Amino acid sequence: MTTSARRSSLGIFSRLPVRRIVLIVLGVIITVAAIAGARATLATGQYSGRVWQDLFVQGLARGSVYALIALGYTLVYGILLIINFAHGEVFMAGAFTTLFLAGYLSSSGFMASQPVLSLLIMLAFSALVSMGVALLLERIAYRPLRGAPRLVPLITAIGASLFLQYTFRGFYGEQVRAYPNIPGLTGDWNIFGISIDRPRVVVIGAAILIWSSLYVFIERTKTGRAMRAVGEDREIASLMGIDVDRVIVITFAIGGALAGMAGILFILLFNQASFDMGFVPGLKAFTAAVLGGIGSITGAALGGLVLGLIEAVGPILFLSGAGIPSVGQLTSVVSFTILVLVLIFLPGGFLGAPEEKRA
Amino acid sequence: MRQPQAVRAGLIGGAVVLYLGAVGMLERFSERSIIVGLIRFNLVVMMAAFFVFALFAYRRATGEANTSLGTGITAGTVAGVTTGVVVIILSLLVDAGVDVRSMFLRISPAFFEAITLGTNPYLGLVILAVIGAVMGAAAGGFRRLQPTPRTIVITVVGTVLLLGLGARLFIPMLQGLGIPTAWLYRSDALTILGAVIVSVLAVVIRLYLQRKGGFRKALTEVPGVTPSNVRPILFALGAIAVLAAPWIGKQFVADVLGTVGLYILLGLGLNIVVGYAGLLDLGYVAFFAVGAYTVALLTARSSSMVGATIFDLAPEPLTNFWVALPITLVVAVVIGILIGAPVLRLRGDYLAIVTLGFGEIIRVLILSDWLKPIFGGPQGITEVADVPAFGADTNDPRVLYYLIIAFALISLFIAGRLKNSRVGRAWAAMREDEDIAEGMGVSVIKYKLLAFAMGAAVGCLGGAFFPAKLGVANPGSFTLLVSINVLAVVVLGGMGSIPGVIVGSAILVGLPELLREFGEYRLHIYGAILVMIMILKPEGLIPDRRRALELHAEEPHESVGPLTAAATPGVQ
Amino acid sequence: MKLSRLLVIVAVLSLVAVACGGGGGGTPEECEADEFGCVTVAAGEPIKIGTLLVITGENQTLGLDSQAGAELAVDYWGDNAFDGTVGQIAGHDIELVNEDEGCSAEGGTAGAQRLVTDTQIVAVIGTSCSSAALGVADKIFGDQGIPLVSPSNTSPALTNPGTHNPFYLRTAHNDTIQGAVVAEFASQELGAASAATIHDGSPYAEGLANAFAAAFEEAGGTITDQVSIQTGESDYSSILTDLATGGPELLYYPIFVAEGGLITQQAVENGSFTYLAGSDGMFTPDWIAAAGAENADGVYISGPDLSQLAGDADFYENEFLPAYNETYGEPTSVFHAHSFDAVNIVLTAIEAVAIEDGDTLHIPRTALKDALFATENFPGLTGTLSCNENGDCQQSATIGVVTVENGDFSDYVYSATKGLEG
Repeated sequence: MTTSARRSSLGIFSRLPVRRIVLIVLGVIITVAAIAGARATLATGQYSGRVWQDLFVQGLARGSVYALIALGYTLVYGILLIINFAHGEVFMAGAFTTLFLAGYLSSSGFMASQPVLSLLIMLAFSALVSMGVALLLERIAYRPLRGAPRLVPLITAIGASLFLQYTFRGFYGEQVRAYPNIPGLTGDWNIFGISIDRPRVVVIGAAILIWSSLYVFIERTKTGRAMRAVGEDREIASLMGIDVDRVIVITFAIGGALAGMAGILFILLFNQASFDMGFVPGLKAFTAAVLGGIGSITGAALGGLVLGLIEAVGPILFLSGAGIPSVGQLTSVVSFTILVLVLIFLPGGFLGAPEEKRA
Repeated sequence: MRQPQAVRAGLIGGAVVLYLGAVGMLERFSERSIIVGLIRFNLVVMMAAFFVFALFAYRRATGEANTSLGTGITAGTVAGVTTGVVVIILSLLVDAGVDVRSMFLRISPAFFEAITLGTNPYLGLVILAVIGAVMGAAAGGFRRLQPTPRTIVITVVGTVLLLGLGARLFIPMLQGLGIPTAWLYRSDALTILGAVIVSVLAVVIRLYLQRKGGFRKALTEVPGVTPSNVRPILFALGAIAVLAAPWIGKQFVADVLGTVGLYILLGLGLNIVVGYAGLLDLGYVAFFAVGAYTVALLTARSSSMVGATIFDLAPEPLTNFWVALPITLVVAVVIGILIGAPVLRLRGDYLAIVTLGFGEIIRVLILSDWLKPIFGGPQGITEVADVPAFGADTNDPRVLYYLIIAFALISLFIAGRLKNSRVGRAWAAMREDEDIAEGMGVSVIKYKLLAFAMGAAVGCLGGAFFPAKLGVANPGSFTLLVSINVLAVVVLGGMGSIPGVIVGSAILVGLPELLREFGEYRLHIYGAILVMIMILKPEGLIPDRRRALELHAEEPHESVGPLTAAATPGVQ
Repeated sequence: MKLSRLLVIVAVLSLVAVACGGGGGGTPEECEADEFGCVTVAAGEPIKIGTLLVITGENQTLGLDSQAGAELAVDYWGDNAFDGTVGQIAGHDIELVNEDEGCSAEGGTAGAQRLVTDTQIVAVIGTSCSSAALGVADKIFGDQGIPLVSPSNTSPALTNPGTHNPFYLRTAHNDTIQGAVVAEFASQELGAASAATIHDGSPYAEGLANAFAAAFEEAGGTITDQVSIQTGESDYSSILTDLATGGPELLYYPIFVAEGGLITQQAVENGSFTYLAGSDGMFTPDWIAAAGAENADGVYISGPDLSQLAGDADFYENEFLPAYNETYGEPTSVFHAHSFDAVNIVLTAIEAVAIEDGDTLHIPRTALKDALFATENFPGLTGTLSCNENGDCQQSATIGVVTVENGDFSDYVYSATKGLEG
């Protein structure tokens, strides 16, 4: 089958330069529009430095949660090359289930007397629940599919995502429920002369701590090295005596635990749990993982923070100056546009291998 | 050796039944009778769970245990007892004043009633154990049955379930044909007498056909029918059934069938993208929305439309449906190419997420305050004109049904031709291995774009009928769930398979319309179906032969032989 | 080729159907004269009234409460007792056919489409949310000549002469009244000089936010900003930060349970707003659960004042509420009385226009609509109902404001009665 003689009118798209030029023009237009929007917004003088500071911290806190969830996507993708689309639901499972523990801790008075210990208990419990769900998911949905074409586990993951959402809706009901407030976490703390909401400080701090522990674990421990080896080449790793199944299980367990902890941090910020709470953060976290370069742990952290900041600052900075009403509605438009642009110009994300596999 | 396997299967079976109870399904299902005063749907589901897990025990069992009735009885009994014991524990907790419902909302009195079949937990344990044992024995017995008795069992169970669950479709249809239904149905469930009569009838017909060597052969015995004209006659019978369906029974039937037709259209479109070209598009709803909104903007009378907003015209429809349709097609293809061109170089799973992102962008923009003057925000565009057809403006669902069926037929035809054309072969080559395809001279980008554009065109056709059918286009109809619904239709039927799309739509879209009690579990069940299909039968119910081979390519070569043989009859 | 053959078949089939369908006989001339014909209820068949309320999802408390009110009305009809017996008209049982509207335009469309497939439906009680009615359910029912009577739609757009559907009525108040009362409360009682509003784009929220803003500015206050949000997001903190730059004292967000809960919590955390206020879409314990009791404390919520019922307060307290509690528990919203009234004016109108023909009952559709619009000084539970030509049956309403104390709604802290005109 030779196609050279049969190039139809669509053929221009296969000649790279034209496509490249179109893309670059597109990129330039969007960049110029963004800069113009930002200039117009700043020119109004409506937003003081204090406002930008607030937005920045909000974005950082939100981004920290994205980063932790994104780690779960990245770890699994790095090893199995599948997108665990149901990871957002793993996150939801821990956070939603811990609601009942938190309610108990609060009503028994334990939370009032031991707020820090309560928070640690909640983190651990949520991590355990999410880990359990992640392991079940691996065992039931993904293990039978190892080696199947890549479309197959992806569709499975979408199904699993729906199934988990509605399972928890069945268990706990469809109402949105608020967590009890954790005493000591209301009000501001003054850090470097900036007053910041206490929950945001805790969330950012905890995220840094958790991320660093994971980094050390992956880089320094034997299991961490085994995980990297399996990620490099599963067959060679298994020839070298690494128990691939065990490594995959450990990966899902770690990803699940991280998602569970991210769930509690999310709760510190937003205080609400519901059966569909995992979907949007899961999607955003996946976007963050892709932005940072999927497969890279540092990339997940970077991608999460960048996305969080863009979502908090972007709509106001780029759009409100252009006279667009209610820019807060367009948050997702901004973040997905950035995703598309990054994928077009940096197909590997910020830190991923450029063009891992062509086409 | 046989006990641990059977016990394990039984434990899982019990857990599944408890799960169904804990998410509230059994309670909901108990509202539906299959046979009046005899069997409710919750019992059917529980029996099915025990039966399936007993069969599962056999699959794992080896040697003597593989044939012994004991394996099934053990598994079934264990499943029943597990369920019963947990129910007793739960009831004791509730009696002791533990507020189980503060966490597990569905552990209500209705839960206990549904799972113990209206008795108390202790009697329930006995009943569940007995049902489990009986179903386990039935599973064991069923495996040993000769083909003929096996056919009889399957026919009876299938007929009763089909007629029982489909009551809401069959009652108006029978009444429309002038057949009295009182003997067969009472308040949406079969009567005992009716169930016996239809079962006997079904068995007789089935066995008669079997003896004659199939439906076609039997048909040739009718005078005037010969082997050479049996195909056209069958085709004509099918066509008459499809055309007459909305006239039999009430508007409801036409409405349900119209919705199924819509999903056939959408499914055919997505099938081109996912099934033929192997590109996972999770933002397919975008094209559905583009089709719907373009038609709505061009044909709506309301003030939120292009004409009134941008050109400051009086709020009159710009044009009618038939002029709007080709414009819509062009718009959809252009948008398909615009979305596709920048991202088609991406790896498959990135493509999935980017298309999903595009779907979300379009939905959010439609909803936004910013574009509200054009798209009408959350309220959407109202007062969309009816479709002028057969000399009249009409929103009679029957007319729309015919239009949808007509377009579905055209799309079926195109999809069928495409599949076996040069383009279809190029897609297949690309799907299997892009690099090799490119090396062979297939212009990958060109064919990917073509798939995107074709998919967009067919999807927007479905979208175009949507506002015409409802009279409005609003953003709530264009969520990610629509993309997933359509994906489920394609996957269940079989990726790349055209008859699969029809069967998938009938099952996933038609059935839930009839089983309104289960509405809240629709997506729950979709999720489970996607997972189970991918694990057990990734090629779908009616597999496309070539796709089936690819989906099993990683398995040992020997397994390909029997699989092909098994797949062939379905393809016909 | 193929298509033309198809058209021929279709044409033949339609002829057959028309021929078969034309055989009915003996309809009264009122039915022949009526543009939409009659609903004919055969002997022994029930009179079907549809309900189209939000009975699933996060706003279900609103719809289930109204559905309870409708069921109680059917029970009370005829024998004037809450005894569980279904009311009758001319020997025909009254039957409610319940559908869900999901509190959205799309849900309202789907639910209305399902109801109109049953040609025996005489009238429909609904919808709960204005978004399910405006341009959607009101049009679908109007096209079939089925009156739609809402117990809880409050959006001004629904009875605006330009957008009113001729078959639409409501027993709920018009939000021009509620917006004015909230503005009066904010400027006079709270002494707020500036305010910002948030709505979610739904006709209910947008209508109320605009009515409030207009009345607040008229009272001399400043509106710093009016924004619209996307429902279903997990974070509105940057929107609140943006709103806070205008320095409003009061934040008014008349939206629904899920977003209302999250915004309450994030606005408290933001700390820039002196007063927070919402309206009847959040007037349910579910909103307090979603916001968290600590955050909900001190927030003002407005809604119809049921303690000041202009109708028979004694009947409400001593007969209606006990009957409600017995079957449905504590009321989860504030529109059950409006729903009770809606069913009663519908049944009264049916009784007035129905034509008895032996055991068969004919109900001419247009005449039924006209009878509904002619409702004048009807003694309802929520007051005296008189329907005007735009479908508003509450010519004046008493709107109350409550606050939240220790996770529970307080007694009314403010209450005012206003008429529809000014």
